[in-house]
Amino acid sequence: MTGFSTGARLWTPGDVALSRRWFLALAGGAVLTGYMAPSAAAQTPSVAGYSPSLWCVIDGDGRILVHVAKAEMGQHVGTALARILAEELEADWEDVELVHVDPDPKWGYMITGGSWSVNQSFEALSRAGAAGRIAMIEAGAAMLGAPVGECVARDSVVRHGDRAVSYGEIVAAAAVTRTFSDAELAAIPLKPPSERRLLGRDAAARDVPAKVTGSTVYGVDRRVDGMVYARPVLPPTRFGCRIASWTDDAARAVPGYLRTVEIDDPTGTCQGWLVAVADNWPAAAKAAELVDVRWETDPATAADEADMLAEGARLVGAEGAGSLVYRDGDPAAALAAGGEIVDRVYRTHTVLHMQMEPANAIVWRDGDRWRVHAGDQHPSLSVPLVAKALGVAEDRIAAETSLIGGGFGRRLYCDFIVPAALAAKAMDRPVKLVFSRSDDAWFDNPRSPTVQRIRTVADPDGSLQLYDHVCAAGWPTWAQTPGFLADGFDGAGKVDPFAISGADHWYDATHQSIRLVRNERVHSACLPGYLRAVAPGYTTWAVETHIDELAIGLGVDPAAYRLSLLGARGRNAGHGPNGVGGALRLRAVLERAMEKAGWSGRAGLPDGEGMGIALGSGQEREMPTWSATVAHVAVDRRSGEVVVKRLVGVFDAGTLAHPDGALAQVEGGMLWGLSMALHESAEFKAGAPQDLNFDTYRPVAMPDVPAMEIEFLINDHMPVGLGEPGVIGVAPAIGNAIFDAVGARLRDMPIRPAAVLKAMEV
Amino acid sequence: MTAFSVNGRPVETAAPGDTPLLWVLRDELGLTGTKFGCGIAQCGACTVHVDGMARRSCVTPVEFLEGADVVTIEGLGAEGALHPVQAAWIEAQAPQCGYCQSGQIMQAVALLGESPEPTDEEITAAMAGNLCRCMAYIRIRKAIHLAARTMKEAVE
Repeated sequence: MTGFSTGARLWTPGDVALSRRWFLALAGGAVLTGYMAPSAAAQTPSVAGYSPSLWCVIDGDGRILVHVAKAEMGQHVGTALARILAEELEADWEDVELVHVDPDPKWGYMITGGSWSVNQSFEALSRAGAAGRIAMIEAGAAMLGAPVGECVARDSVVRHGDRAVSYGEIVAAAAVTRTFSDAELAAIPLKPPSERRLLGRDAAARDVPAKVTGSTVYGVDRRVDGMVYARPVLPPTRFGCRIASWTDDAARAVPGYLRTVEIDDPTGTCQGWLVAVADNWPAAAKAAELVDVRWETDPATAADEADMLAEGARLVGAEGAGSLVYRDGDPAAALAAGGEIVDRVYRTHTVLHMQMEPANAIVWRDGDRWRVHAGDQHPSLSVPLVAKALGVAEDRIAAETSLIGGGFGRRLYCDFIVPAALAAKAMDRPVKLVFSRSDDAWFDNPRSPTVQRIRTVADPDGSLQLYDHVCAAGWPTWAQTPGFLADGFDGAGKVDPFAISGADHWYDATHQSIRLVRNERVHSACLPGYLRAVAPGYTTWAVETHIDELAIGLGVDPAAYRLSLLGARGRNAGHGPNGVGGALRLRAVLERAMEKAGWSGRAGLPDGEGMGIALGSGQEREMPTWSATVAHVAVDRRSGEVVVKRLVGVFDAGTLAHPDGALAQVEGGMLWGLSMALHESAEFKAGAPQDLNFDTYRPVAMPDVPAMEIEFLINDHMPVGLGEPGVIGVAPAIGNAIFDAVGARLRDMPIRPAAVLKAMEV
Repeated sequence: MTAFSVNGRPVETAAPGDTPLLWVLRDELGLTGTKFGCGIAQCGACTVHVDGMARRSCVTPVEFLEGADVVTIEGLGAEGALHPVQAAWIEAQAPQCGYCQSGQIMQAVALLGESPEPTDEEITAAMAGNLCRCMAYIRIRKAIHLAARTMKEAVE
């Protein structure tokens, strides 16, 4: 692997490959898309009862247990998934209970991210429910002595005329023997949308009540008999540190302190770490600060944010850098043709997850197995990582799931389990390792700084002759799951599809080129991660700012200009099931957002105020969620301070499995967009982020929340994702609104007042 | 030894005097509804009531609590019944991941104790120090208004 050449021990992807055990669960293909389905045919159920498929059990009391194999981290995913199944089962929603299952290959490839859960579970859960309905009707009909074709199921009851038998009675009578093969499940026709009774209608989320009484148990709340507490002692940089010497003389004075463990980590996750262990966490935390360590460090791993951005600028300035992601027409010829090229560079800075529950894990030995308890978005990756750390076979790892106090992508790579596992091994007793907030921030897998260059050539009528986009960024997939890298568009090289998604927008352009280059300076100091909205969180900043610049240059209304580019030509016509309608659906959300925001009246806003618009098609081209965002801002011309007064968002995500949950995701997502636009960044300095706690890393709080108006366009199309798409249009809408307000064009995110003042002078 | 009460019950702790209340609640008393977020009173996830006032338990040393009355999220409602603020939180479907919500609710109860019908500005000022990373702020505000209304109706 071509790493950043320093001689230091950098992160070498592929150290932990996805094992065959988990990989067999994958549908195949290098890219993590498509439904990673297990066999859905029934296996040993979680309770006695009837299982039409792996995904549910109906018991003799009439309870319907739905198996949730996705992590619950605030998206109310269990509620949404269970309603999909209950819809086809014709279940009474009150009979449905959620079972959050522990990780096991039988559930398929286990990952919760990418805004995929509802979209990728929809078919399997619908068919599981439909199979259950068929089985209940057949068995119920036999019990009622009625023809199957004359029986109907509704609200967990099978009826024939005025006689009825409930699902619970049917199962209690042991009357159900029906099984379904995978082929039979796949052949079941689903209900027409007009007959839906649960989807598209609201229900209280099942995870909410316990969250208002403090009784929800998150990973950090779990207790194990005999457990001790730990906090890591972190080296100066993430990579390349070696312990030269250390002493815990001062730590020994801390009451409750037990010992400090030097971590020798075969996975390379912890390079030069120690872990302080005590009989309570504050003692471990205090001791960790008193352990005196001398490290040998490698200056090559100590990059500053400025170094990373300078390298990014160098990379995007070179022709043909990196790998080709998409090409249409002959972009090189179009570039050489001599039209007026609009050539701009856009940048974003490091952003941290800062999920409220700091990284933590409990690991203990239980006979010949190791038990791992952690909030985890990606057990299928964690299990092999922890097995490698402990030097045991994967089937010796028993992972337990937990509710998650904030994921946002941080728990897609649970590297934080490794030091807990190694400390538990060294201590030979259960260890609960909790990162302090600053430890958590230091050890984050951040959204890396990015530099993007866009060059366009437009005809006098505005139509795009050339769209050329090159992006330099850290590649989360390269660092975490290299098996999921995709081949370049022309077959040459590899690309991280998750580091460039969103650059492949839906505007028509005759000649197009999209390239992605890995910024090795980023990788020298940082293990980049997936952070809510991932690439569209920065690519859309560049695309939508650039389109605005083109419109202004052409002297046309930025919203009208976007409409003119949404002709749904070629591949922009979209295809089903996810992308049916293509760019025409993007037009529809744009037109509705203009109307809702009062776009045509924006010229009448007071001095220093303005409106900006941006479109989004996140989370990825094969699963587009259509969005239009309008921001209304007020800019203080003397200070450069920006106040967002109002955000309008219009979304088309197809069928909404759980509309109120969908709305909550978009509310939070749009505020994430605002937060990253104006508030959040953590500068790397000497190989580590500098803003490590909420005193200087300041996400949006209640005083920053503007008026918000959100609307979904309702239809029966395939449900797509909503965990992330709310985020992506907000920053460019704000940037474009600032231009509308005071004529300042911002190309760096986050937008700081000093940058606004400077841009006003241009 | 420090003696105080938690949710109406007397407790004693032998923890060193500088131990933050948060960890005594969570790890000695098993009251894990109060959360660790930042450790420096900058996020509000650890908010509890000490003698009726909202306090950040992560920076409250137990040695200052001799004789104090501490109330946590677990002690907020009456036996078997939710506090009106908790009920409003459910009605508004406010929590997402939920991790910050104990602190949000404790802060909101303190606010409503001081100002039974808070304006939007009062809510913003009182809740400004309680971060929600899911950014459920719209519903938190809505839930506070809902709770104010039901508490007022209960009084009338």
